[in-house]
Amino acid sequence: MSSRNPSYSTPKECNHLTKYKLKHGLDGYYLIQEFVKTNPFGRTMIDKSKLELPRCSFCSGYQGRLYLCLICSSVTCCLSPGSDHTLLHSQSFDGHEIAVDLERAELYCSVCCDQVYDPDFDKVVMCKHMMELPRSENGDLRLCKRKRLNFGIDLDLRNVKRLVSSRDQWSESCFPLGLRGLNNLGNTCFMNSVLQALLHAPPLRNYYLSGRHNREMCRKRSNDRLCLPCDIDVIFSAVFSGDRTPYSPAQFLYSWWQHSENLANYEQQDAHEFFISMLDRIHEKEGKASHAIRDYGDCQCIIHRAFSGLVRSDVTCASCGFTSSTYDPCVDISLDLDTHTSYPINVGKPSKLNESAGTSTLVGCLDLFTRLEKLGSDQKLYCENCQEKQDALKQLSIKKLPLVLCLHIKRFEHFPIKRLSRKIDRHLQFPFSLDMKPYLSSSVVRKKFGNRMFAFEGDESDSNTEFEVFAVVTHSGMLESGHYVTYLRLRNQWFKCDDAWITKVDEEVVRASQCYLLYYVQKVLYHKSSEDVSCLPMSPHADRFVPIAGCC
Amino acid sequence: MRSSVKRPPTPDAEEEEQDREPTLQEIINIKLVESGEKERLKELLRERLVECGWKDEMKTLCRAFARKRGRNNVTVDDLVHVITPKGRASIPDSVKAELLQRIRSFLASTAL
Repeated sequence: MSSRNPSYSTPKECNHLTKYKLKHGLDGYYLIQEFVKTNPFGRTMIDKSKLELPRCSFCSGYQGRLYLCLICSSVTCCLSPGSDHTLLHSQSFDGHEIAVDLERAELYCSVCCDQVYDPDFDKVVMCKHMMELPRSENGDLRLCKRKRLNFGIDLDLRNVKRLVSSRDQWSESCFPLGLRGLNNLGNTCFMNSVLQALLHAPPLRNYYLSGRHNREMCRKRSNDRLCLPCDIDVIFSAVFSGDRTPYSPAQFLYSWWQHSENLANYEQQDAHEFFISMLDRIHEKEGKASHAIRDYGDCQCIIHRAFSGLVRSDVTCASCGFTSSTYDPCVDISLDLDTHTSYPINVGKPSKLNESAGTSTLVGCLDLFTRLEKLGSDQKLYCENCQEKQDALKQLSIKKLPLVLCLHIKRFEHFPIKRLSRKIDRHLQFPFSLDMKPYLSSSVVRKKFGNRMFAFEGDESDSNTEFEVFAVVTHSGMLESGHYVTYLRLRNQWFKCDDAWITKVDEEVVRASQCYLLYYVQKVLYHKSSEDVSCLPMSPHADRFVPIAGCC
Repeated sequence: MRSSVKRPPTPDAEEEEQDREPTLQEIINIKLVESGEKERLKELLRERLVECGWKDEMKTLCRAFARKRGRNNVTVDDLVHVITPKGRASIPDSVKAELLQRIRSFLASTAL
């Protein structure tokens, strides 16, 4: 990430503000705090009296920007540089320079005619704001959804013209390189499905196909003859060889059993669990610090370069508003299904999303993931400011996005008390193009605080927030007995990978499927890999071993 | 202008409201605010203006202005003064129509 001047740094105080603070400290702020109100839409403002319209003390006007003097509480208006009663007020009364914008609850200097920033003021306003947020019936805090129509909707694919001759192009011998069935070795569809997805994750694919893991060197170097990355390398070579007969990843399965003894059987397993364990194993071998699990953030192994992201967790004390943030690295994000269809008043427009009771959307799940959550009273946390345990609010957001974003949909619910587990079959609608911008820490925090100038620690790169889906691992059936199938998207064409059988399918089939693991890759990488020679349909007569360019 | 400590004459409490009848516009505004409709309309307007790209346009104009003047020579007042006429002029007709419609329905439903 290139270092740029951080866009957010608290601007210097004007000398009028400094003077004010020296004389009055924070008293004025605390007096104002009483009148800070949050409207049902989540906006903070100053509301002195619900009964009367605030009016300018000079002209009784109520239009334009209205300011409340922090010294004498008189309200003045500012319509234009020619009609600036706020300035007039500061000129009429010595020392009455700092005011608060009534509609926005922001500081203003009447002499400088400019907005001024004071983190102390922001804290005072935000503390009140947090305590005033509108709550729904079950106590969950709801921040009104300011509609984000531009995110998460893929319009491009609907407009793609169907090629009339597409049938001819896609006879099996002309499938893109890298499509090869994997034989089921005994309930190993969980393994096959994840392997298919990883075989087509651009960073991973490029890494292995450009020979970054040298099997010869590895065998000579390691005493431990079992090397999972080596076995994966074998699979890559086999799958991208051009041979279309289904392949049996037996060696890989055996290796994996050696590493995960408790799962070494022919019972059905969970694909997500397998995915995580596989990443762990590869990291162990490839990562520089094989024992340091804490080094995830700094590890430069292929796994972390591809999958590692950072999740930020903000915990706020419900009594005083003090917030502490922590960062946790992650290689995937597990999302709860959004089962609530109730959203705050969608102004004017009937809610199009979630009308049918049985459908959830990925955007809804991501919103749920980044929602402001009130922790139960049995989960009181210690607040540094109050020096005691208090009720708390928690909010998650994404500080750093990975190159490959794996979204895990939590379809398996376990109730340890009832000793019951069940699968949630609810259909999840997901977009093919996903913009993660609204879930970045910068967006989430900014939305919570509006225009407050809390100094941001660093600036996330806003440019790489667009993702394209390239693999979907779906599950059908019941908890104890089900089947995993992967859908791969190569050059905008979907292929169904059902163990040994690879077939071309229409996107409707994919949309209707029950997704469990969604693999998205940054848009830039998706389009680059589409241009890559290895993805072009091959005519049967062409040279099978096409040189594959590309590196991670 | 010399800063004067002399206070403007305190208006006589009796004179204040009685010799000025509130205009129709004021009455409507008060009704809108009291019922909370004004907040809702504002929120609707914000939503529409984001959807149609107006907000982004204004942001671009502000950035261009700030770049020309120099980052440290721009005040909020300057920006508001410069952007307001352009902003008002570029509101799409559909947005105006929708809001007018909402205001009309509101007026029809409330006794004046």
